[in-house]
Amino acid sequence: MKELVDVPVKGLLLFKSCLVSAEYPGIESSTKYVFDRLGVDYLVSGEQSCCTGMGHYFDLFDQMTTTAIAARNFAVAKKEGYTNITTMCATCYAINKKACSLLNNNRQVINLVNDNAKDSGLANLKYEADSFDDVENFYHVVEVLAKMADRIGDLSIINFAGVKMAAHHACHYYKIDYEDVAGNPEHPELIDHIAKACGGDVVEWYEDRTLTCGAGFSQRYVNREMSLKATHAKLESLKRAGVQLVLHMCPNCQVQYDRYQPVIEKEFGEEYDMVHMNIAQFTALALGGDPLRVCGFQTHSVDLTDFLENL
Amino acid sequence: MNENYDTPKCESLVETVKKSLRTSDSIGIERCIQCGACTSSCPAARYSDYNPRNVMKRVKEDDWSVIEDKTIWNCFYCYTCNLRCPRNNSPSQVAQVLRQMAINKGIGIERLSVLFEYPESFAKLGISQIPAPYIGQMEEDLGKHWQHFRDNLEDIREELGLDPLTIEDERGEIKTLLKGIGFEDRFARLKEMATEEGEDE
Repeated sequence: MKELVDVPVKGLLLFKSCLVSAEYPGIESSTKYVFDRLGVDYLVSGEQSCCTGMGHYFDLFDQMTTTAIAARNFAVAKKEGYTNITTMCATCYAINKKACSLLNNNRQVINLVNDNAKDSGLANLKYEADSFDDVENFYHVVEVLAKMADRIGDLSIINFAGVKMAAHHACHYYKIDYEDVAGNPEHPELIDHIAKACGGDVVEWYEDRTLTCGAGFSQRYVNREMSLKATHAKLESLKRAGVQLVLHMCPNCQVQYDRYQPVIEKEFGEEYDMVHMNIAQFTALALGGDPLRVCGFQTHSVDLTDFLENL
Repeated sequence: MNENYDTPKCESLVETVKKSLRTSDSIGIERCIQCGACTSSCPAARYSDYNPRNVMKRVKEDDWSVIEDKTIWNCFYCYTCNLRCPRNNSPSQVAQVLRQMAINKGIGIERLSVLFEYPESFAKLGISQIPAPYIGQMEEDLGKHWQHFRDNLEDIREELGLDPLTIEDERGEIKTLLKGIGFEDRFARLKEMATEEGEDE
């Protein structure tokens, strides 16, 4: 189990995510805003590529390719001197950890990846075994925020009392490398801690708390009906608990809830009085970040205007 | 095509699963006690005929017809089974290997081909995007607001103080690595299979 006291606040490579970049860029700007306010030492590198995670779980990318791309990103982190890879997406987190573990423990993998780099004239990308540790060098932004929850609570200028909120902890954070979760993987509470520190009325257990968001990688596209059934069940469960705000830690889940909530309302004949945001957007908002210029709520599908006015 | 690391040639299904790079070294496929914790917490089992407990049984019994079972394509890769299994097995990882074995046989290509734009944009930009065949459906689902936001994405990013989407890769490292590691060949083969399948129809 990971202890929050051990989560670093220095040398963080804030690892860009494809879905954050293209769907909810406000998650990245919010994270930067919050890190700046909290004095976290981080860097965003223009050279870092997408982790391939979506393509990997679309069954398109093979594990060796995904690992070779990860090794290049580790080289970027090393070159910049920011070696605590900290992700905004749960899939980036798990993909990088697995690649690191393979590079450290599987001779065939490290040899192939390094030979490929050398033969391609990219010897600078060579991965040195054990130069990264699959536990100690990989974090999710939510862990950094949870570690600083008390300070976030002190700095919060918004009173969230009476706002019913609930967390959706992303599957690829706590169900893949469950031994490395900060807290109990059967009941992760990182988001809950931050929301409570800001005075929110947190609904800890709603019926389908641990159910997937329903995205299922290719399922959202290729098996739309099954994908939306899972999301519908989850939204119904949140509605029964009276939740007004759902807090996320993965852009893929956020696409599934925020983008598809209006679709589900139409197709299943439901009505939801519920908005969605990432925990970094929530924290930025609590600390006084502008809803549009910092939190980037204008890219959301479920309009937050009424929710924000009532705060 | 380096897919043999995901699906190494082995005598039995259990051995293939254990040696695949997609699965953890400690995967407990042989330790499976058929308790059904996987199926009882599986979202795909809740909404379809997919039954991970039964798939594990068939893998252990070396029933190669499981590769052709359409239900393996319903796994969400949510890893709930991975978390819940008391024997450190991972049906979610096993399903990944089975799907790769199916792909080798030309099964499921129609599910992959609609997502082909994904690796293409990754090779070109270093970042992946929503596959083109789904943009239309999403525009229909998500309406004008989403279209408008997508059309103005770079401006919004600039407003938020973020750099352009495309990564800095002047030397073309991503493309070079993809070629050398065998992905370019793998992808070409997948495309070929998709074309062949299209012609068969």
